[in-house]
Amino acid sequence: MSAHVDDKLWSAIGDPTRRQMLDLLLAAGSGTATSLSEQLPVTRQAVAKHLTVLHRVGLVRGEIDGRERTYRIDDAQFARALAQLNAVSTAWDSRLRRVKRLAEALQQAEKKES
Amino acid sequence: MELGTIEREIYIEASPDIVFQVVSDPNHVKQWWPDEASYEPVAGSAGEIRFAHADGGKIEGFTVVDLQPPTRFSFRWTHPVVEEAATGNSLLVTFELVPKGEGTLVRFRETGFRERGWEAAVLERQYQDHVHGWDYFLPRLISYAATLDARP
Repeated sequence: MSAHVDDKLWSAIGDPTRRQMLDLLLAAGSGTATSLSEQLPVTRQAVAKHLTVLHRVGLVRGEIDGRERTYRIDDAQFARALAQLNAVSTAWDSRLRRVKRLAEALQQAEKKES
Repeated sequence: MELGTIEREIYIEASPDIVFQVVSDPNHVKQWWPDEASYEPVAGSAGEIRFAHADGGKIEGFTVVDLQPPTRFSFRWTHPVVEEAATGNSLLVTFELVPKGEGTLVRFRETGFRERGWEAAVLERQYQDHVHGWDYFLPRLISYAATLDARP
């Protein structure tokens, strides 16, 4: 996967309405533009646009089911997005914990000397 | 414009002078982060940090942007060593140190993800390791994503 695609994935997940939609799709298993708009303070048209963005980056898959397209989370792509977010933030958490330990040990050593 | 950001605050029971040394002096930095750190603790100094791995390791560019003891240290990293650090090829890290009681409040910030994109290698490795269910990841995603100033 190229950095360009990753960037779009990031952008897709960065929007609060789209995150809510992903949340609803995860909880319900599937949803349509109509069913999602009923649970969100935005129009069906707006939801449909957001679904297009999510579909373009591969986070959801759509299937024609009767009159409307039914969307589901693409598990593999969603896992990739989560892994990206997770990797960078937890790495800094552990580095900062080491900074804290090191600085506090140095402070203790200085106190004992004086 | 920076669109992807990690922010953290951590309280350390040590003076700002000590904390500043730990976050900025290459001899200290290599104790909490890379295996080797070569740069001068001077604004504008361009150097590198090295990570030793079984597969030969990795070298990342490291350029000091700002150094104001004992309150502020910022640098750019992840650019190729031969390139000059700039928006688009590197991530910008800033440590702000605020005296608090007997210790120091450290404000950490890393920006530049959107400009730089993501490393495919990190992504692949994380993805291969990924065995957790949504129950575990979703709350983390929401709380983490809430810290991002991301726009569609």
